[in-house]
Amino acid sequence: MAIKPEDVLRAIASARGNAICVPTMTTSPAWRTIAPDDLSIGCVGFMGGASSLGLGLALAMPKRRVVVFDGDGSLLMQLGSLATIAGAAPRNLTHLIFKNGVYHTSGAQEIPGGLTVDFVQMAKGAGYRKAYAVTDFDDFKQRLSSMLGDEGPLLVELHTGLADKTPMTDRGGQPFHQQVETLRNKLDKAG
Amino acid sequence: MPESIPAPLIIDTLKDTFREARGGNTREPLGWILSVPDTHQKTVLAALDKERALRVVTCATEDEANAVGAGLWIGGEPCVLMIQHAGLFASVNTLRGIAMDGRVPMFYLIGLLSREKDRDPKDSRHSMVRFAEPLLDTFGVPHARLEGPDDVHLIPEYYRLSRERRGPAAVLVGLETI
Repeated sequence: MAIKPEDVLRAIASARGNAICVPTMTTSPAWRTIAPDDLSIGCVGFMGGASSLGLGLALAMPKRRVVVFDGDGSLLMQLGSLATIAGAAPRNLTHLIFKNGVYHTSGAQEIPGGLTVDFVQMAKGAGYRKAYAVTDFDDFKQRLSSMLGDEGPLLVELHTGLADKTPMTDRGGQPFHQQVETLRNKLDKAG
Repeated sequence: MPESIPAPLIIDTLKDTFREARGGNTREPLGWILSVPDTHQKTVLAALDKERALRVVTCATEDEANAVGAGLWIGGEPCVLMIQHAGLFASVNTLRGIAMDGRVPMFYLIGLLSREKDRDPKDSRHSMVRFAEPLLDTFGVPHARLEGPDDVHLIPEYYRLSRERRGPAAVLVGLETI
């Protein structure tokens, strides 16, 4: 059975410590509820940019883990970011792909290539330090600690079902510019 | 008549700009260059290869460079995007989403590849040259053009402007650097 995205997010919220998280698209509504006041910034208004936003954060804050919650359709929009991330080689970046094979927010149209697209091979080919797929939640829980602690850049392709909510069915959350200010101030204070 | 600008002058100006952005702190890297390699500025890129005080991140697209820049800004690190006019055209949605709507200060050095020495860009035979400044005007992005070595003061001025207005600002490189 496909992993429930909300189960993944709850497990990460419990284990992340002081990591910065970068949700996008269908992970955003659930993450707002699960981790409402924390070190996160949603990629809103420039679909496909979560991985690069995470890279910038990881380079700026090398002592802090950065975890990107990417989508398969989102990553396809800026697939070159895999090579850019591998080239910059941030040791503190974990890149999670919530792979459901569809563009959920627009009505679940299949992404190009559907579920056959293999992001693990792509990440390895680009030069990520490590990349693997996880297909069940028990395996995810067992590996979570290493996902958040192993040297990056690390990509994990999570085989998930659809999230209960999407940014279209559950609008809300801060606009991007407010999230930028909030996170920048928090990181500045944290030193 | 416009003149080409030597790469070392641009690099020294960028270093001074970053030192000022850090309030005089000289920790290294002084700042980050997010580059989608621009043929027009190739002498600067070549010199940056030997430069230890500035860290270059080569990005596959200008969209990525904008998003990486946002992450650096949130984490308190200064950066400059070095791109070409074609890359500006390619990435306007990200410029809008991040630098404008997201109010992230973003400073761009944009090469006007193929700009003719004897013509104003608005009269260029090349559409990429002709439309770059009008596109920035359309988006309300303040911009200036480097027309020779005496103009490099525009780099720190427009960098500062991007910070003051919490948004994008651009300096266009008129002739190929030397």
